[in-house]
Amino acid sequence: MVTKNYPDPKLNEKLRDRYYRRDQSNPEFTKETEKLAGSMAHMCYQCGTCTGGCPSAPRSTYRIREFMRRGVLGLEEEALTDPDLWLCTTCYSCTDRCPRDLAPTDVIMAMRNLAFRRDIIPVNFLKTVTAIYASGHGVPNNDVNRAAREKLGLTRDPPTTHMYPEYIKGIRKILDHYNLKENADRIIKEREG
Amino acid sequence: MAEAVSPTTSEKPKAPRIGVFVCHCGTNIAGSIDIDAVKEYVKTLPNVEHVNDYKYQCSMPGQSNIQEAIREKDLTGVVVAACSPRLHEPTFRAATKDGGLNPFRFEMANIREQNSWVHMHDPAGATEKAKDAIRIAVAKASLLEDLYPKSVPVEHAAMVVGAGVAGMQAALDLANSGIKTYLIEKAPSIGGRMSQLDKTFPTLDCSQCILTPKMVDVGRAENIVLMVNSEVEEVEGYIGNFDVTIRRKATGVLSPAEAEAKGIVGGGCTGCGDCDPICPVTKPNEFEMGMAPRKAIYIYHPQVVPLLYTIDWDSCVKCGLCVEACGDKKAIDLEMQDELVKVKVGTVILATGFEVFPIETKEEWGYKRYDNVITSLEFERLICASGPTGGHLVRPSDGETPMRVAFVLCAGSRDSTGVGKPYCSRFCCMYSLKHAHQIIEKIPGVMPYIFYMDIRSFGKAYEEFYYRIQDEGAKFIRGRVSNIQEDPVTKNLRVYAEDTLLGRPMELEVDMVVLAAAVQPTELTNKTRKLFGVSCSTDGWLLEAHPKLNPCGTTTAGVFVAGACQSPKDIPDSVASAEGAASAASIPIHRGEVELEPYYAMCVEEKCAGCGLCVNLCPYSALALIEKDGKTVMQVTEAKCKGCGTCGGFCPGGAIWMNHFATPQIVAQIDAFLLGGEQ
Repeated sequence: MVTKNYPDPKLNEKLRDRYYRRDQSNPEFTKETEKLAGSMAHMCYQCGTCTGGCPSAPRSTYRIREFMRRGVLGLEEEALTDPDLWLCTTCYSCTDRCPRDLAPTDVIMAMRNLAFRRDIIPVNFLKTVTAIYASGHGVPNNDVNRAAREKLGLTRDPPTTHMYPEYIKGIRKILDHYNLKENADRIIKEREG
Repeated sequence: MAEAVSPTTSEKPKAPRIGVFVCHCGTNIAGSIDIDAVKEYVKTLPNVEHVNDYKYQCSMPGQSNIQEAIREKDLTGVVVAACSPRLHEPTFRAATKDGGLNPFRFEMANIREQNSWVHMHDPAGATEKAKDAIRIAVAKASLLEDLYPKSVPVEHAAMVVGAGVAGMQAALDLANSGIKTYLIEKAPSIGGRMSQLDKTFPTLDCSQCILTPKMVDVGRAENIVLMVNSEVEEVEGYIGNFDVTIRRKATGVLSPAEAEAKGIVGGGCTGCGDCDPICPVTKPNEFEMGMAPRKAIYIYHPQVVPLLYTIDWDSCVKCGLCVEACGDKKAIDLEMQDELVKVKVGTVILATGFEVFPIETKEEWGYKRYDNVITSLEFERLICASGPTGGHLVRPSDGETPMRVAFVLCAGSRDSTGVGKPYCSRFCCMYSLKHAHQIIEKIPGVMPYIFYMDIRSFGKAYEEFYYRIQDEGAKFIRGRVSNIQEDPVTKNLRVYAEDTLLGRPMELEVDMVVLAAAVQPTELTNKTRKLFGVSCSTDGWLLEAHPKLNPCGTTTAGVFVAGACQSPKDIPDSVASAEGAASAASIPIHRGEVELEPYYAMCVEEKCAGCGLCVNLCPYSALALIEKDGKTVMQVTEAKCKGCGTCGGFCPGGAIWMNHFATPQIVAQIDAFLLGGEQ
């Protein structure tokens, strides 16, 4: 990449080289993504059906079609370092409607996995890991919910690890097998001190 | 078995001397098969007198090599190891004949389609397989015999199935070249899909205005026997002599000619329409896509050919009011029965057309759930001056004129999900451009939005038409529609898509959505093609003999395809293919006779016990038992026999000799494969 070295960093950013060149394309990234996703991402023909029905797209800069395009071209850095990668709600509308019968949601999940291998992950996702490790729930029960459940004639806590905390250790075993908690703690510490 | 002597030869055959010619096909074969290794191996095979290789055996020098070798080495058989016999068997047979041998002393070893192309990553395996294939071919070639094709006369008549624009054009061409042509149509009128269209792209001719003269020509042509309300019921025979049974459905109405034949002078249906107002049963008119009513006794529209009313038996209550209204013309017969008509024709053209794919199966667009989502064919009827609204485009929900109309292209086309169709339906881009033009012309202030993935404007003056419509103000949005939602109060529609060129999702509220739905072969296509022994592709479109070099022929000799039954075609392409098919179908008829491949079965009478088991097995009714010299033996009608081998494989006495696929020849091939050439 050619840098112009203007004295003003804002101007430097505005006028930076924006060509993409062949050396940015990593065919292995396409293959790896497809292997993890179980979907032929390279067959995307960019019709935009995915983004057109995406609940995240009208509220953010997240464009699933652009991630598919990066998958087609193997633009690894661009895909993995884009913070939008984490804005998919995994509703699977795009997968339901894709005319090429691809699974864009699974492609996003694959890219997230590849990003995590390089410690690229927002801290809030890691805090979910911590929450699951502690309680067995990504979103643990709280007093508001407990009151609502009681009103509906349900038990205050659902019949999960909340009611049977003795099973939390099983969940921890699974997370520990993948060193998930360990990595989450390490990355959170690096980011937040 | 190998010593069995064929009934075709009386003299003792001379010792086999086989020439083997290995083709490189450029790098198609030589790229993965070791030609030199194959050659060295072939030299060791029994009966091989000559081995040669060449870059392109099908070229003139390649063929000359074969001819010279036959003469110089006094060969008795020729083996070419090259491509599929479907491509070049005729070429090499001709070369064999020019070299002075009977052309049926040629055998082909396919080392390209079934070898080098599929094993290109395994050169060693491919080379071994080529050796096997050639060894087997040499074994057969050593036992091949002289055969002589028979000629059969061709009936001076043709049949065209389907009377849309393609079928009509084909029938007119055949009739004008002096051939009696039976034109079979399942609907009550000829004209097909084209007669439902309003205007045609890119010239904007009125579809009916350019089609009705042709319809009238068809109705008047002396050489055309028009059969509407008719379907093909049964087909027997072969090129030159097809016996086709047609089911003429009971229409309940006599034509003037039919009435006269029954002795009703001056009677029969004149299309006066007196029966129509009095009929108490009302049904949706399928010609108007169900958007206008018709009676149980009806015509599609005033310009139908032939102008004869038809009774819809599913809705007729047989009240008899129409019979009274018809009066002295006595055209209506409520007890009419279907009639089976047998005709003999030399060649057949299938032109069974297309229909719209059931687009409601793509649920995200809401067709049949939302009132104001319509298909393009419904749009055609609504915008057509002779249509149910007199050419005023209105919203089905409230009859209001839509001011914002979205056109959804590739609706169900280019779809690999298994719900839609994987192919491009080919004419939707162009007719949607035309639709945009039509509303701009008719509704001041209207805004058409065209949602597209690619605009495919490939034909003559098509791209210029695209330019024109963009200039007229249509808005093109490059994005496929993800889903559509209906406002339950206003019945307006919210269209969701991404403008992929802006990279922004969009929500567009419109008054009407037109789905450019994918097309598929008509319902009866599959049944009809099976009757004629024609193959189809995975999508059901009829399969041509060769997509580039024989686009109108099929793998059944004497049967041809025209128009959109082969693949989606617009009007110019349909008419062009119809003229091609008519030309191809007229050739055997004008020649007056065709040569049949001499692959028929023969009875070895000394061995035949006259048991007759083969007679019932034959799928082509080609066999019969006869008395000969005081003995019951089987006899083959050679022109009917397709050489399938069913009888030969079954005969308990080994009394049936299959020419060119005789038991000793096949056993030799199996031996050559299993024993590696040792006999």
